[in-house]
Amino acid sequence: MAEAAAVHSSGPPLSRRARWSPREAALGIAFCLPALAGLGVFVVFPLFQAVFLSTRSTDINGNPSRPAGWSNFSALFTAQFGDVLLHTLLFTLFVVVVGVALPLALAVPLAQRLPGMKVLRTLFTLPFAYSASAASVVWLLMLDPSMSPVNWLLRLVGITPPGWTTESPWALLTVAWATVWVVGAFNLLVLGAGLAGVDEEVVEAARIDGATGGRLFVSVILPMISPSVFFAVVTTTLSALQALGQVQVMTDGGPNGSTSTLVYSIFNHAFENGNNDYGLASAQGLVLLLVGIALAAVQFGLVERRVHYT
Amino acid sequence: MTLLREVTLPRTDGPSEPVTLRKVHTTVDRSLRQVIGALALALAAVSAAGCSAATGSGGSSSGANSTAAPAASALDGKGEVDVSFWHAMTGTNGQELQTLVDQFNKAHAGKIKVTLNFKGTYDDALAAYKNASPSQRPDLIQMYDIGTRYMIDSKSIIPMQSFIDTDKYSVADIQPNIAGYYTVDGKLYSMPFNTSMPLLYLNKEAFEKAGLDPDKPPTTLDEIMADAKKIKATKGETVSYGFGASLYGWFTEQWDALGDVTTCNQDNGRTGRATQADIDNPTSEKLLQWWQQMVDQGLAEKLDSNTTNGDNAFGSGTVAMSLESTGSLGGFVQSAAQAKHPFTVGTGFFPKVSASDAGGPIIGGASLWTVNTGNSAKERASWELVKFLADQKTQVAWHTATGYFPISKGALDDPADKAWVARKPQFQTAITQLQNTKLSYATQGCSVGVMPDMRKDVENAEQAVVLQGKDVKQSLAAAQKTADAQIAAYNAKLG
Amino acid sequence: MSRTADSTPPAVRRRRSLNAPSRAVTAATYFWLAVAAVALLFPVLLTVVGGLLPEGRLDSSPPELFGGHYSFGSYATALHEKVVPLLPAFGNSLFVGLVIMAAHLITSCLAAYALVFVRTPLRRPVFWLVMATIMVPYEAIVVPNALFVRSMGLENSRWALVLPFLANGFGVFLLRQAFLQFPAELRQAALIDGCGHLRFLFSIVLPAVRPSLTALAVWSFLQGWNMYFWPLIISSSNNSMNTLQTGVFALQSNEGTQHALVLAGVTLTLIPTLLLVVFGQRWLVRGFMAGAVK
Repeated sequence: MAEAAAVHSSGPPLSRRARWSPREAALGIAFCLPALAGLGVFVVFPLFQAVFLSTRSTDINGNPSRPAGWSNFSALFTAQFGDVLLHTLLFTLFVVVVGVALPLALAVPLAQRLPGMKVLRTLFTLPFAYSASAASVVWLLMLDPSMSPVNWLLRLVGITPPGWTTESPWALLTVAWATVWVVGAFNLLVLGAGLAGVDEEVVEAARIDGATGGRLFVSVILPMISPSVFFAVVTTTLSALQALGQVQVMTDGGPNGSTSTLVYSIFNHAFENGNNDYGLASAQGLVLLLVGIALAAVQFGLVERRVHYT
Repeated sequence: MTLLREVTLPRTDGPSEPVTLRKVHTTVDRSLRQVIGALALALAAVSAAGCSAATGSGGSSSGANSTAAPAASALDGKGEVDVSFWHAMTGTNGQELQTLVDQFNKAHAGKIKVTLNFKGTYDDALAAYKNASPSQRPDLIQMYDIGTRYMIDSKSIIPMQSFIDTDKYSVADIQPNIAGYYTVDGKLYSMPFNTSMPLLYLNKEAFEKAGLDPDKPPTTLDEIMADAKKIKATKGETVSYGFGASLYGWFTEQWDALGDVTTCNQDNGRTGRATQADIDNPTSEKLLQWWQQMVDQGLAEKLDSNTTNGDNAFGSGTVAMSLESTGSLGGFVQSAAQAKHPFTVGTGFFPKVSASDAGGPIIGGASLWTVNTGNSAKERASWELVKFLADQKTQVAWHTATGYFPISKGALDDPADKAWVARKPQFQTAITQLQNTKLSYATQGCSVGVMPDMRKDVENAEQAVVLQGKDVKQSLAAAQKTADAQIAAYNAKLG
Repeated sequence: MSRTADSTPPAVRRRRSLNAPSRAVTAATYFWLAVAAVALLFPVLLTVVGGLLPEGRLDSSPPELFGGHYSFGSYATALHEKVVPLLPAFGNSLFVGLVIMAAHLITSCLAAYALVFVRTPLRRPVFWLVMATIMVPYEAIVVPNALFVRSMGLENSRWALVLPFLANGFGVFLLRQAFLQFPAELRQAALIDGCGHLRFLFSIVLPAVRPSLTALAVWSFLQGWNMYFWPLIISSSNNSMNTLQTGVFALQSNEGTQHALVLAGVTLTLIPTLLLVVFGQRWLVRGFMAGAVK
């Protein structure tokens, strides 16, 4: 395996001279061109425009008007924005941890060859079909103060249900959970695929050697599915950073701004309540971009080292 | 670059890789540098283009177009004129609007064709409007009440007054209390269309069980508290709370108007441009203290500003009293019949904060704006549609189908309308409430460009007080500070 | 590397059955899965059944889903919706979903292949650039994108709905991960056989990474299918290109919520995506079984 892998990128020894052949290079560029063109025109180019917008204030009709100097950026150094960053951090943490751990806790039992597992796996992936707003509408109903089946169940066992969207620590949890519900279903797909690719011989050998249960999982199975786990962590982080619908529909940033995340703040300043503060929204957008890059750097830099690619 | 190289090494392969990579980089460096240089130049050009493109964003004011309203002759010889109408009506309201527009199109076949374009929420419609270039704006747009000042300041519309003056159109039939909201400096800027009023809703069975008379509903907040206490003390009540309503900013605006309080200076922005908010006033303070006490004493259900939750609270029979607009009546009656413990819906006047309050509620909702597109035929056609929608007969149909309050005075005297109201006595409450209201600056409501933001600031204060247990005065003062800053920023943009 | 019990020696097979999960573990597994199913799938049940209940029926605490009249009345109302007629809206959403799915698959396959198998110059920087685009928040670039699409004079065309979303960094990332795990000796064998890049890609690589392709296809389709805000901003004055999501939103009453109607609408939007997920599963599982043969 090792030699095969070593040969993978460097090519057969004979073609060393031909390694940087212009034809290969041209082919490579041609293959990348559609994606790069699309991304360049519709993501990178507007990003530069957003940078430009962040240095300007907009008039009441949404046109960038006077130069605003650093005022859009100095607005980022307020306590309020600090709270927004904190909410974003907590939200992302919850969504990533629960959004990967929960599907894992489901995928592992589901990977066993027991009757009904295939059906169950399909069922558990269904929430992925919901859009963010559809999921929010349904969970709003599920946790409605007056009609919630969840509350009814809790009362049945003697627990007083908290105010899911009305009490401060719970509101953030609720919108994060609505996100986990959708994202976790996709991760179940990904982790299930990873588990299906696990080599049974290796697991069997480990079991013969005496590894069981938790130890088997942590030292044998987990490393083997680490590419899938890594992928799930990276994509869940990005989804969590950009989750908007849940906050909009369920709490609208409340109570009193305690579920206001970064992307909600951006959308709010750009489009809600008759606002058209594209300057401030762009500045905050750049912050979000930096946060994303920082997290990705951490993940690729530190976490990926522990990933075992076959 | 160093980090990348180290990171990718363990991932790809064995020992031969590092050598390969380094060698690769040195041989390709020269051509790479050329490529990178070219890319950098391209990027610079692109960002320069991006900057100039960004300045030309949509929504520039068409101040060049005159705001004089075209006369009827503008339609002559133009064939069939297309009118695009942006709206935010959903559910049965939207269906009814489509029906009315179909009627209009039939009556004006070959001359005017109106196309409805649903634009999501009022917020979405406003965002779409602002982002549209002048050539892509609709001919007619429905905009919520709190967007009024912005629409005027945008200089992109033709005031209704222009059409009224050109045609010598009689406004005698329009309810003055309703038109007052959209009138600034004696000029009517937009035609009111769908207006609703706030009401108190009550669960008649719950009232009776507690020994209260559902036909004598409470009229002040203190009376609500007393009634809620009685309901709480009654054994065998099917409701869990005496009271429950959404922390909706619109309600607070109503309470302030009832208390004859202006919520922004310059007479609610009606005699001059408003520069300051007056959110932290005694009426609002009293109101929030009351609400905090109600929740703390278990008399009111803890709800946030989401009106869906508030509606569910009443419709499911969880609370005995609630606040909502006249339009919700139909839905409530339907839910009440299907609730676990079915009940009858009763209505009362929107409660006052203090018994001595002498003001009245603000008529809110949305209105129709004719956009200054520069195309006189379309502008004229839009006005024809507006006249049709404001017409007495149309208003009767609109009222009876949606529950929105008719803007036409004559509509209330129409036999079909009267018969409908007789079948639904709850609507009489709204009518009486309106007729008892005197038009004043307070009941005209605050007119300021950042009204939607101001409403959200008030909601934040309410949430802070009721849901987070914060101090009333502090929360209202904080909201006022925020609102003042928003108003100042808005006014600065105009200068 | 075998996967079935058939090819293992009898001694191992016997030992394997000895080490099979005990009855207690199996029972615990089923119990845990059952609890999770109730907690996680009840909302789906609520969505589907809720639309079948008479209006107002859901307004009880807790909502009574069982034992009552079921009717398709709400579905009928939803489909006869005049404000945003659902059939054209369905057409728009389907167009957007399919076009974006196809575009993502094509652009991501090609780009990911080039980044892994082809000696492309600037492989690493390109990958990082692509990753960076995933992190750009969509809300911050909506306005510039709208300007650009408008300036191209496209706002009356359905293509305006999909143009900014034809390429996506996520797809490149996903497929690159899948390609990186592709056994290298197969590439070697193909090269020796004189197989060119394109043939290698289409006949050998793509069939082997079917699970990832399916996952990307499903994800991309949903991105397009679930679009709400962009069509509102970009459509011209009287050409409504409303999608199904806007249509469902239009079902909600301005005053007071009709739950059954809204849930019926939500279910209607879910049906295609649910079908996609269910059948995508089958393809995924088949892909797993095939991919497990290494």
